[in-house]
Amino acid sequence: MTETALQQTTARPKDAPWLSLKYREMLEAWLFISPTLIGFLIFFLGPLVAVVYYSMTEWNLLTQQATFVGLDNFHDALFVNPDFWHVVRNSVIFALGLVPLNMALALTLALALSRPFFGVVFFRTVFFAPVITSAIAWAIVWKFLLQGEAGAVNQMLAWIGIDGPNWLREPNWAMAAVIVTRVIKMVGLNMILYIAALQAIPRDYEEAARLEGASRWQIFRMIIWPLLAPTTLVIMVITTIGSFKVFDHIYQMTGGGPENGTLVLAYYIYQQGFEFFDVGYASALAMIMFIIVMVLTVVQVTVRRRGMQ
Amino acid sequence: MTGLVLKDLKKRFGGTQVIRGVDLTIEDGEFTVFVGPSGCGKSTLLRMIAGLEDITSGELYIGNRLMNDVQAAKRGVAMVFQSYALYPHLNVRDNMGFGLKVRKVPVAERERRVKEAAATLKLDALLHRYPRELSGGQRQRVAIGRAIVGNPDVFLFDEPLSNLDAELRVHMRSEIASLHKRLSTTMVYVTHDQIEAMTLADKIVVLRDGLIEQVGSPRELYERPGNLFVAQFIGSPKMNILPAASTRLLAPSSTPPASAESVGVRPEHLVVVEPSDNVLRGSIALNEYTGAVTLLHVELPDGSTCLVVHDGKDLPAFGSEIGLMADPQNLHFFDRNEVAAKNRSG
Amino acid sequence: MTQRQIRIIYRTCWTLALLIVAIPFVFPFLWMVSAGFKSVTEIFGAPSLIPRVWRFQNFVEVFTYQPFARQYFNSIYIALAVTAATLVISSLAGYALARMRFAGAGLLMLFLVSALMVPEEVTIIPNFFLIKWMGLMDTHWPLILLPTFGPHGVMATFLMRQYFLALPKELEEAGRMDGLSRLGIWWRIALPMSRPALAAVAIITFLFSWNLFLEPLIFLSSLEMFTLPLALSNFTDTYGLPLWNLQLAATTLAVVPILIVYLIAQRQIIESFALSGVKG
Repeated sequence: MTETALQQTTARPKDAPWLSLKYREMLEAWLFISPTLIGFLIFFLGPLVAVVYYSMTEWNLLTQQATFVGLDNFHDALFVNPDFWHVVRNSVIFALGLVPLNMALALTLALALSRPFFGVVFFRTVFFAPVITSAIAWAIVWKFLLQGEAGAVNQMLAWIGIDGPNWLREPNWAMAAVIVTRVIKMVGLNMILYIAALQAIPRDYEEAARLEGASRWQIFRMIIWPLLAPTTLVIMVITTIGSFKVFDHIYQMTGGGPENGTLVLAYYIYQQGFEFFDVGYASALAMIMFIIVMVLTVVQVTVRRRGMQ
Repeated sequence: MTGLVLKDLKKRFGGTQVIRGVDLTIEDGEFTVFVGPSGCGKSTLLRMIAGLEDITSGELYIGNRLMNDVQAAKRGVAMVFQSYALYPHLNVRDNMGFGLKVRKVPVAERERRVKEAAATLKLDALLHRYPRELSGGQRQRVAIGRAIVGNPDVFLFDEPLSNLDAELRVHMRSEIASLHKRLSTTMVYVTHDQIEAMTLADKIVVLRDGLIEQVGSPRELYERPGNLFVAQFIGSPKMNILPAASTRLLAPSSTPPASAESVGVRPEHLVVVEPSDNVLRGSIALNEYTGAVTLLHVELPDGSTCLVVHDGKDLPAFGSEIGLMADPQNLHFFDRNEVAAKNRSG
Repeated sequence: MTQRQIRIIYRTCWTLALLIVAIPFVFPFLWMVSAGFKSVTEIFGAPSLIPRVWRFQNFVEVFTYQPFARQYFNSIYIALAVTAATLVISSLAGYALARMRFAGAGLLMLFLVSALMVPEEVTIIPNFFLIKWMGLMDTHWPLILLPTFGPHGVMATFLMRQYFLALPKELEEAGRMDGLSRLGIWWRIALPMSRPALAAVAIITFLFSWNLFLEPLIFLSSLEMFTLPLALSNFTDTYGLPLWNLQLAATTLAVVPILIVYLIAQRQIIESFALSGVKG
């Protein structure tokens, strides 16, 4: 038996495939990935490299073509153009206002809605509804609600004796209005992330703590909050980066005004690139945005790593 | 003729060598069991035969065809998985017929073969059920049925009984044995349970650390283990290993080979006698009553423990002194390298 | 007071508080629908949710002022196309990343992960010139290609990968033994078992495309090519001032159908977002 087998070992069988199984698998894997990869290279990685180059050129309606100017655009932004720091200031204010408000409200709502009770589905549905709504539609409606004297918000405030400001005509109020309406639009997303995290915490912990005499606040402060830390960090990263990307909401609600009071980075890029066609300068702004986002990500991931050790 | 020939098979995962050169011949129609402790590579070896793992080096022949680079489905083998791997979205009939459908077997033929297999395995009444609606034993049978319908040249079983409870395991074991009798197809079966190996196998392959320790019939492995590892792995309870010097007391008429370093004797081969200076003495440290027999834990003078299977008549009391003896032909000698030591006389 | 009474009071207070918080979430929708039926003068009169005069004409004028039906159709078919393309491409790549061993997998993962965080605004300028160079300005191609292959597509790929990783491997091996090719395993075993993940990707992708604004704003110029969000922001008179009542009527038409689907399938939709967020 063994010998007959050995005699027939020499030649490769006719039906053996042209590639060994291992390489065949590799080839198949790359074929599976190729649509994603090719699209990714063309529409993401390529443009990302291009924007680095663009940012170092002078390229606008006057020049009509790209001339290499090194870091001039960055110099312009950081040291010459007064708008830039104003825009950065707006973006930071927007983020500093939006992120804590969003997260605090999301966590509060999640704590209230993570346990079943009568009406829990209703409330979850309500608080999440703006998330699936188009930002443009949301901004259109709020723009009406926030009109000066005739707007519904001010009319309602008048019932309780408050003389509301002309929200969208005064820079500071406009910023506040944009932040709050954005929070209302997006808070549902963080809320459900928190609910999912809360529901993943075993009840045993809380029950054990209660037997040991911990109050509700102590249970939250000493058990739930620490266990939520990874979720909190993820939500913080997503929300912060999200706040730097906001464009459609502001475009529709204030158009960056009044007096550039709500002109944030994403909007500024659009304005410089597509309204003023200053491609080089806009690309430099895009690079700055890229760096900000990367730094935020790295910082937050590092914090998370350290927290885990 | 669908025997298997493995020639110097090797498998490497990254830096770790899992299979380190296996040479093995499996005859047509033979029931072969790969057995060994966990991590010995037995499942990997089976998966290499199946075509689920690629072969790093060496050659694999199934029915005299080189199979190294042939796809799993074209090797003429069928596999029964540990978790059964039934498709949750298909009912029993479609699960069993799936392979035939993929291979474009005509519907009528497919139906016939599924029915046949279902009848053999008493699954007729369950054909429309989904896997989640079946008990463990039924799922197991469906998994076997799926293997049968393809008419494979070789059946591969990867620890198929390990997810069943004890009673069902014994039952399915006998079903697999009778299945083999009926089909007389080559079967390769992986298990870590040596009882399963002993009861099912025509040929047992004992593996350790990616190498074959010994190949042989259950009787051969039990009666003539090739080395200390096999001696202790096959048989339950484990073989006792004593210094070769103990032979003089255990069986005065026996003459150990010159190279013998240690002597092994199975618990069921030790006989309890009156203690005296001419026998191996010990004291009872623990009695484990199991019903049919009682397992004595005997503490020897050197502090080691020796197991004895006792029929329960005149059971020595806890703490009492006893003597132990054995038939010379039931002794196994091992040399310095833990390999069976041979008497020149044979 | 008994424990029970205390608990009831506690619950009631919470529910009341939640109801008050819910007002700014619900009121805009109600007001939007009601204002869609009002005349311009009434919109800025005393706020009332029920119009004094029902002006159904608004909903007719929406269609005469812009090719709104055409724009509506554009939004639907683009969203469907993006969804279909994303499902196929992300589940293919996700499957390979989860299940197949190949050189370069680690590096590829790193590349893709980094894309998740980068805002579209960063690459939009070069993409604008790319699309222009391809001759695809004022077509729907960029609105299909960019979302499918951009960060959103990568997110979908990771979502699928995560789900595939959790599927039992032996099922696929059984498929291999049964003679399925890789593509066959993907199509006939992995995908049927991944319906929840596919549904999640479909829902999120559809809404993502449906609500997309920056790309349509940049790539589209003719009214017939517009998608809904762009059309909505375009209800202005010749001086750029909003045509209040028409804009709200159009917004109602755009939002309400999605809202109805959401109310019917809220559980599934919310879970889809939870799934994507947990992994993102």
